[in-house]
Amino acid sequence: MKEKAKLAEQNADGTYPKNKPRPSGDSKEPLEQKRHALVARLKAGDRAAASDLVDEYYQQIYLFMRRLGHDRQSSEDLTQEVFFNAWHHIGQLKDERALNSWLYRIASNVSNLYWRRHKHKEVIGIENINAPEVSTGRNDEFGHYEQLEQLNYAVARLPVKLKQTVVLHYMQQLTIAEAAQVAGIRQGTFKSRLNRALKALRKRVT
Amino acid sequence: MDEEQIQHLLMELGPRLTEPVPPDLGEHIKQRIPHRLARHKISWDTVNIIIDLRLSKSVAAAVIVIALVLLLNLFGDRNSPMGGIVQDGVLLVKYWGKAGKIDLSAVKTKYEHLLERGEEVVWYGDFVDPKDSHAVLMHQKLTDGTYIVTFADGHEKEVDSEELIRFMARMLRRKPN
Repeated sequence: MKEKAKLAEQNADGTYPKNKPRPSGDSKEPLEQKRHALVARLKAGDRAAASDLVDEYYQQIYLFMRRLGHDRQSSEDLTQEVFFNAWHHIGQLKDERALNSWLYRIASNVSNLYWRRHKHKEVIGIENINAPEVSTGRNDEFGHYEQLEQLNYAVARLPVKLKQTVVLHYMQQLTIAEAAQVAGIRQGTFKSRLNRALKALRKRVT
Repeated sequence: MDEEQIQHLLMELGPRLTEPVPPDLGEHIKQRIPHRLARHKISWDTVNIIIDLRLSKSVAAAVIVIALVLLLNLFGDRNSPMGGIVQDGVLLVKYWGKAGKIDLSAVKTKYEHLLERGEEVVWYGDFVDPKDSHAVLMHQKLTDGTYIVTFADGHEKEVDSEELIRFMARMLRRKPN
């Protein structure tokens, strides 16, 4: 029952259950201030700020590309392209608080454009799922791992838009509001897209 | 398996679906930071609001000048030094002059990156007039036969070949002899 309640909570306001490792309210404010200052420095043309932006985001953007199914080399190239575009268009970022979703939006556009240019390219995302830190070696644990592998395979084969929806919300851990902003759609539309993705996954995972 | 279980598995899958990021990637990207970053035009809220209202730059400038003159007439001391107005005027002229310009090096860096990656991309930035906001700095051919054109004012547009030819022809017509 408790589990259900947590999921219901997530569905209702687009946030994760409270036991999930999300940024706490206390640490959020300094982070926002830091981002605000970073954007201001970027807009002023500060090269050191461009370097700080790379330090803060290159790992998550690279993993985002990998989780979207780009191979390693393409992910590196696309990550670079994301930052070129960010430096180039920083003046268009109106709300400093939206730096995170703005950068992910650029990343999504870069990824979509890549898939359009290379329609027949094979999807090669991250194939190896990290095993849990503490292993009991039980059979049901093995079964669970198999389920995760099946799910990973199924996510990789979702249509681009649905895959992006799942990756943004569940893997990059963006809230519904942030992820909808990235996808450039309303929250309601994002939720219904998420539901469609879950239905499709349900059919493919046993 | 129901959707709740799928959600649980997805939440678990996210943090476990990871791999080491190439250690030199960050440094490699930093090496490509353009010498001069594209500066945000003028952080003047009034100007931004007017631009957001999609008024042309000359209308925006005229509105600001009229507003300044009106404010001076209403509240200003006629004998006071005109330093403030002169400074605003200088800012305005600077804005007028720089609006629509972008730092070419940022676009050039992107061009070099795309070229390195084997994309079909052509650079015109060395001979176009950067003051002409409609001048084409570069174009990139996509596999579906369309092109992404980057203009001198920084905006990008996806066009077909006919439209690209029109842009190029226009640019050649404007090219000084």
